[in-house]
Amino acid sequence: MYHVDITADLNDEDETGFVWTFLDEAREPSHIVPGALVVAGDEDAAAICQVVDLSRAGDGTIVHLRILPGLVEDYQQLVQRALAG
Amino acid sequence: MWAAMQSSRDWLGVPHAASAPAVCLPALYGGSVSERIEQRTRLRAEHLPRDATVVVRGGRDTADKLLSHARRTARAWSLDGHPLLGISVFAVLDRPLDILLRERFSTFRTVYLPTVESLVGAGFELLATGRRPHFTVRLRSADEVERERLLVALGAARDNPAYGQTSIWPEEG
Repeated sequence: MYHVDITADLNDEDETGFVWTFLDEAREPSHIVPGALVVAGDEDAAAICQVVDLSRAGDGTIVHLRILPGLVEDYQQLVQRALAG
Repeated sequence: MWAAMQSSRDWLGVPHAASAPAVCLPALYGGSVSERIEQRTRLRAEHLPRDATVVVRGGRDTADKLLSHARRTARAWSLDGHPLLGISVFAVLDRPLDILLRERFSTFRTVYLPTVESLVGAGFELLATGRRPHFTVRLRSADEVERERLLVALGAARDNPAYGQTSIWPEEG
């Protein structure tokens, strides 16, 4: 089970080709800024993503996310290697 | 305006009130229709062959998850001026399934692989939204019957053979 920074359906894409969701679905919206690395998705399916941009839509702000390669667990191993070395 | 909202309430599966509702659509789904991104003029001019085309959706859906995802779409997008209830799928069109799974779905442990026929035959419309090969499966309402019907049309979730295949730095040994 994942605890994500921002809830998203990782299937969702718009004409930008990026995944999108709403800023108010973030646990801490102030952390969602362009360039930030976040865990996006839900408790079952999550991915490391980079925030691309934010834009207005509907009654809120849409966040575009670039899915980065690899699993969340891969990044955990990467960080462990870096900190152990 | 009220007539359009009544129509939207039908479409979203929101029960009618005997008179003007105490809660209007923007309160239920957020924002006014005019602020949503209208998709009709953005749809790609393409239609999927019903008989052979498979679509992919990652994850393991439940009726509650479908509600959450469809409402998110309806909050952001409209179609012909009405909130667009829908969920995302990708059609197997230009690349083989295994490549699509590896390039786009490697973070999903499970995937759904319904045919276009199974979705369209169950009454769902597929809209060519976003970039090819993305499509939106349009729900006519958000009620539980509709969501359960979609779950049946999606079929069983299958293990994704491409899960984890784009590892950034595979462990050795």
